[in-house]
Amino acid sequence: MGNTVIGSSIVIDGEITGEESLTILGTVKGKISVAQNLAVEAGATVEADVEAQTVTVSGRLTGNVVARERLELKPESKMVGDAKSPRIVIADGAGFKGNVDMDV
Amino acid sequence: MADKETVIGLETRISGEVRGEEDLVVRGRIDGRVQITQTLTVEKGATVQAEVDVRHLVVSGTVVGAVVASESVKLTSTARVVGDLAAPRVMMEAGAAYRGRVDMGDIAAARAAVSSRAVQRSATGEKAAIRPAPPRMAMAAKAVIAGKVSVPVAPATPAVRQATSVAPATGAPGPASPPAFPRVAGAMGAMAPAWAKKKIRRR
Repeated sequence: MGNTVIGSSIVIDGEITGEESLTILGTVKGKISVAQNLAVEAGATVEADVEAQTVTVSGRLTGNVVARERLELKPESKMVGDAKSPRIVIADGAGFKGNVDMDV
Repeated sequence: MADKETVIGLETRISGEVRGEEDLVVRGRIDGRVQITQTLTVEKGATVQAEVDVRHLVVSGTVVGAVVASESVKLTSTARVVGDLAAPRVMMEAGAAYRGRVDMGDIAAARAAVSSRAVQRSATGEKAAIRPAPPRMAMAAKAVIAGKVSVPVAPATPAVRQATSVAPATGAPGPASPPAFPRVAGAMGAMAPAWAKKKIRRR
């Protein structure tokens, strides 16, 4: 498994690019671009423009999101920013503010 | 929540600053700055081109940049490291490739030197942390040469040579010079990086 995990005490200020999946438990500010899945776990804070195959948010995400396949906002998640993805799932209890673009 | 280990995967690259209070394992690449209160492990095949401030550093891959470790630095047999090392304990295995200066003495001073350089750089532009490619390269070059000449001062890169060759010209005209001259000189000075300017003033 060649995946990347950003632990809960880690703060990254800058840009993350990758060809694999990224799991964030800590804080990332800047820009994220991954070829596979991005998971923003509960307790994590992301202030970044995000591009990924699938994006799953359980924590807080501020920024514009482009998910090439699917964006999912789990219960208790908070997202502020524009979402662009062909499939968007917003669970009951999720907080979201921004535009939705499903390319229809 | 049970802490997962922080891992920068093989195919992942971070440019900017990474801070934290846990272990960090790098299999991919980090460019910029790493400040971790625990152990930084740079695995074989991984590259860290950054100012590094950690408790323990274990290198099996490549590290370019100034390193301050409050406890130990270990270079394994596959390590390739360029840059000054400051740590109370430094271990190098046979096969490790290293160029730079090792300081097992005053860690606090080394840390202050590294962080003041970082402050200087961040003062030159807030965006530096976001896309630091050119400053980073400059930092790496500085570390290499500083190690060789064993003086913790920036070396004469082309920018410095240009700046220093300008310096006598700016000084020579004196107060009697036409007013346009100092203004041009000021512009040249403003173009030079902060550490280059310091060098001009000293001469």
